[in-house]
Amino acid sequence: MNNCKPCGGAIPLCMVDEFDLPADIIDRKVTKMKMISPSNREVDVGKTLSETEYIGMCRREVLDDYLRTRAKKHGATVLNGLFMRMEQATADGPYTVHFNSYKDGGKVGKPETLEVDAVIGADGANSRVAKEIDAGEYDYAIAFQERIRIPEDKMDYYKDLAEMYVGDDVSPDFYGWVFPKYDHVAVGTGTVINKTGIKQYQQATRDRSKVKTEGGKIIRVEAHPIPEHPRPRRCKGRVALVGDAAGYVTKCSGEGIYFAAKSGRMAAEAIVEGSVKGTRMVGERNLRTYLDKFDRKYWATYKVLDILQKVFYRSNPAREAFVEMCESDYVQKMTFDSYLYKTVVPGNPLDDVRLLVQTVGSLLRGNALRQGANSLPEAASSGRRCLSAAAKAADDPSLGCPVEYIDLRGTSIDQPAVCKYTGNKYYSDDWQAH
Amino acid sequence: MRSSEFAVGRRLCANAEGAAAAAPPEAPKKERRVSPLEAGGTLKGAEAAGKDASAVAKNVVLGAADTSQKVLQLEDGRFVDYRWTDGRWDLSKFASAGGKMDWDAWNKVIDAEMARRKILEESPIPSTNEEPVFFDTAEIPWWAWVRRFHLPEAEKLNGRAAMVGYFLAYFVDQLTGFGLADQQNSFLGKLALHVVVFAVLIFRTSSTIPMYKNLLDEATFYDRQWAATWDGQARPSETEKP
Ligand SMILES: Cc1cc2nc3c(=O)[nH]c(=O)nc-3n(C[C@H](O)[C@H](O)[C@H](O)COP(=O)(O)OP(=O)(O)OC[C@H]3O[C@@H](n4cnc5c(N)ncnc54)[C@H](O)[C@@H]3O)c2cc1C
Repeated sequence: MNNCKPCGGAIPLCMVDEFDLPADIIDRKVTKMKMISPSNREVDVGKTLSETEYIGMCRREVLDDYLRTRAKKHGATVLNGLFMRMEQATADGPYTVHFNSYKDGGKVGKPETLEVDAVIGADGANSRVAKEIDAGEYDYAIAFQERIRIPEDKMDYYKDLAEMYVGDDVSPDFYGWVFPKYDHVAVGTGTVINKTGIKQYQQATRDRSKVKTEGGKIIRVEAHPIPEHPRPRRCKGRVALVGDAAGYVTKCSGEGIYFAAKSGRMAAEAIVEGSVKGTRMVGERNLRTYLDKFDRKYWATYKVLDILQKVFYRSNPAREAFVEMCESDYVQKMTFDSYLYKTVVPGNPLDDVRLLVQTVGSLLRGNALRQGANSLPEAASSGRRCLSAAAKAADDPSLGCPVEYIDLRGTSIDQPAVCKYTGNKYYSDDWQAH
Repeated sequence: MRSSEFAVGRRLCANAEGAAAAAPPEAPKKERRVSPLEAGGTLKGAEAAGKDASAVAKNVVLGAADTSQKVLQLEDGRFVDYRWTDGRWDLSKFASAGGKMDWDAWNKVIDAEMARRKILEESPIPSTNEEPVFFDTAEIPWWAWVRRFHLPEAEKLNGRAAMVGYFLAYFVDQLTGFGLADQQNSFLGKLALHVVVFAVLIFRTSSTIPMYKNLLDEATFYDRQWAATWDGQARPSETEKP
């Protein structure tokens, strides 16, 4: 309970409203969000934010404590303990929860038990409650973060600004970040596909942000798993999982605080409703109502972010295109609206079409540059360019070079094959019909 | 193997452009024959100058004073190129004779950006506030891209693939029952569908079935991970419907 969860601590505006968070929970109001591409192209995606809009940066130790204290004030009994296991004596009977109590503040907990009607597992990525109900595994990313106290003049730059670095160097499938915290910055990165490389990615993130964070002192190093998708089973009997225990972190942005809080609230509401304010026993069905509502409400958001991650974090050219796209006010407005308010905003058809064209354009250009770069050495002997391009395309059938084969069978000096792009003529004198 | 078969092809004649530009040789003067170097090539004047080697090579050969013009270099974690100023390619350094930004000139900009990205990909450098990067590939006009990379041709070949992808996405959606299509009115929903189309554009191949299968698997993997909770379970919202 006295620990503090490693976390970037960015929360959307709607969380502040919905959960009535006091202003002082927010250490910093970020109004500028810089996205930085592999070739260091940068775009401030916060340009369209109005004066009252911001991304809140909080320290989890503060936020968590506030929420706990408030729950206590409203009548909850808070026990400081480590959940060990639970059992159900009879099929419909209560659950007996075994935990080590730290009530007395000792180093070693005192084993205690408690009988309860329902259990909501909110114990994070390494959830023991999940294990108890055989919830199954999920893929997870590993996130690494260093909290660095940097010189004041450097901190000044980050006072209302966060940075996101994308590139194969900082993470093959996620982004590296510099987030401002209370009086220091958090520099970190994450990956699913190459966890053993996390130290390298962290080094790369530090290198990319070197000039701006130099001369700092690392005050804490943190690493933690981030779930990639929900567990196969999120509910069994009168036990349900919420937050990271269930696996509610979005792809692409890696956002989980709001969804953890929201799912917790939805689960609680389902129990209150199902038990008719505690006058009736709840059943699995009531808890499933929470899952159903949650999935319906947020599924599209999760799916879209998954697609975005798949398309735009896939390769450096795609990342370049992503950053380029973010220059558009429309994209900025739309993404921020969906992030800050978690509502689905109808767009305007004309702008949508424009966005479509822009995105295709950016992606095509980015990929073209990359494909072209692959054949740079060949470009020197331009006479063979067409052939080598065709040969390349055979290995990597992607954008950027003429995806065309020139069939030389049956050609001769008098009847050459003509490249339809360049007009080059080719024949083969050692081709024989078999 | 097909590609090796092609690789033995010989180049027969100069490309169409070169051929067109090749004016019939001037009638030989009766006097002394000029040496080949003096006579020059088939291109003359500014056109020929446009074909000069890189600025560095040219300066070295001509013994020009300024051999220090750096091209595509990394120095102390900075990208240095005499054509790169204020986070952009300085177009005037690429312009053909008369300051014209023609196809040749844009082509060189494309080359330069291509090389810059490649260098930075291989050795990433810190992003700094002193030297922000602003160059946007959209600054290069569309026709230069089209000519350089034959993009519309690629489009035509794969327009069909995109259509297939779009409808696949749509059906998958309907089948899984979560209904992204329901969300068509939302920005995110639209973006998602659009993105599927791009995905197909990017990941297309010459229409191999396994490829589409992989694509489909990839596109639906996450759906299945989410839907796992509901395997063999009735969803309250569905069963409670009147
Ligand atoms: C480095 C990093 C950066 C992140 N940045 C962001 C961000 O900027 N914005 C964002 O929205 N999300 C971010 N996330 C994701 C976010 O942190 C999580 O999604 C969110 O914290 C989930 O909350 P939770 O309550 O479900 O789990 P947790 O926050 O992990 O809380 C679980 C709690 O349960 C306790 N616990 C665990 N086991 C037991 C047990 N057996 N008995 C008793 N208690 C137990 C733990 O001590 C902990 O307090 C980040 C994650 C990481 C790792």
